[in-house]
Amino acid sequence: MAVLGIPILEDLYPSTMDMWPLQAKEFNRSFQFYENLKQGRLTTTKCKACGHVAYPPRVVCPECYSEDLEYTDLPTKGKVIVFSEEVKGVPLGFESPLIHAVIDLGVDPARRVLTRIINCAAGQLQRGDEVQLAVFPVPAMPIDKGKQGTIMFDRVFFAFEPVKK
Amino acid sequence: MARNAVILAGGQSKWGVREAHIVDLFQEAAKACLDDVPNLKPKDIDGLIVATSYAGRCSFQVNTAPVIAERCGLKPTSICTRCDTLCAGGSTAIILAKGLVESGCADIVMACGGEKLYTPQKWEVFYSELASVDHDWDGVHGMGLPPPFFSLTAQEHMMHYGTKKEDLAAVSVANYNYAATNPVAQMQKTLTLEEAMSAPVVVPPLTLYDCCPITDGAAACIITTDEIAKRFSDRPLVYIRGTAQTCLNSVSANFPGVHLADWAHTRIAAAKAYERAKVTANDIKVAQTHDCFSISEVIEVEELGFCKKGEGGEFCRSKQIEIGGKVPVNTDGGLLAVGHPFGATGVRQGTEIMKQLQGRARHQVKGADIGLTHNLSGANAEHTILVYGLSPVK
Repeated sequence: MAVLGIPILEDLYPSTMDMWPLQAKEFNRSFQFYENLKQGRLTTTKCKACGHVAYPPRVVCPECYSEDLEYTDLPTKGKVIVFSEEVKGVPLGFESPLIHAVIDLGVDPARRVLTRIINCAAGQLQRGDEVQLAVFPVPAMPIDKGKQGTIMFDRVFFAFEPVKK
Repeated sequence: MARNAVILAGGQSKWGVREAHIVDLFQEAAKACLDDVPNLKPKDIDGLIVATSYAGRCSFQVNTAPVIAERCGLKPTSICTRCDTLCAGGSTAIILAKGLVESGCADIVMACGGEKLYTPQKWEVFYSELASVDHDWDGVHGMGLPPPFFSLTAQEHMMHYGTKKEDLAAVSVANYNYAATNPVAQMQKTLTLEEAMSAPVVVPPLTLYDCCPITDGAAACIITTDEIAKRFSDRPLVYIRGTAQTCLNSVSANFPGVHLADWAHTRIAAAKAYERAKVTANDIKVAQTHDCFSISEVIEVEELGFCKKGEGGEFCRSKQIEIGGKVPVNTDGGLLAVGHPFGATGVRQGTEIMKQLQGRARHQVKGADIGLTHNLSGANAEHTILVYGLSPVK
């Protein structure tokens, strides 16, 4: 497919214009976060040396600089503290209504996580509502593997959605 | 003998939707800056710090400093570099220039900033804003364009402190009216409270005049030592007395306050800048704060110590931010009305404080001897404060 005005970019993938994280292990040492998401788990890293749990995940503990980290589960349900709804002028890549919320997952360091709320019509959400993790597919990422050709790496991302009352 | 940094000259291009390339805007700014002190010539300048964040994405240009140096007729021999702290880039350039001239690494530094944000298709700059915040953790949720984040901030200020939409509108009215006669401002119109209150919705409770526009533009200023400055100008010397830049988080989940309207990092930056400048909040006679949104200015006057926490709305509504008030704020029109080409803003603010302290501002604060500039950047992830004064710190 041609890129308007730049014919040389036909069928090429510009990762600098990709809104989704480069989450394949070839490009991201935190790839396990996304692999866990694919299993419906919201996770982050915990330091085996000092016990510190950091969000987002790291490859080096920000407290003690140990590299001995393990993935730990965060709750997948939380409560809406405050939210915003954008109906008009939603930016490219998102659908109206674009809803953002600060949610409390009930444990540190996830007491005030900012997330998108999906599967929710405008005017429906209330402060205090319970929301749950929602994992969805995003476009696969083409990775040039040289002689082996280009592979398509499947990707996911997450938001939260209202828990049906 | 101690070398004390001063701001000697400053100027900006016309800001707004500009039919111009980024290098055109920097040339206009450099000319406006040197026109401010005609004795100073390009050959006198031995250092250049360029603040720009979007040159890489919107102008396909990284390593921007040599490009700007050449186009502006500069041949720096001490320092020639770029800095990128988004909305605080210009202030960062001034802080770095102060350190360089005071340490003797440079003598006369042009600290400038600018952005060309209006791309041939508008989606591109909005899309690129996903990179203005922590991309993989906030931008990816659609948090790049800031109105939703500051909607949440405004709601939490309203929830915790009873701030009203009228308080936000008072900021917009004050800043638009300051800019109405500013020939280089993007918005050159007066605004009434009724107009502000009935404006189209952006993200509730924010409406049109609560949000700064997208702006093309550049600004440039000269940082040197007091002894060197005296060779070029007879105006009062304006010293950079103290500075601070505080960064405690990037991802919004790690915001350092109790809630989004509690700006602990601003307080830390202010305490440090005041301590270094040997002043208190009560000494500040005029301020240029980061009014990217009306709610930002309401919270900034609190966290900078101009009023008590939670009373920012009342402070703004009761005209304490206007000429004759306790601390006139954003006296050239601020981000809301002059516009906000990210890297340029801090330079514009420093230039306005220089003019205030020299007694030559358009909306002059009588007897201003100490002034302050403040920026936040990213998803409210960093705070940058500079304190200026008519005498050096002793």
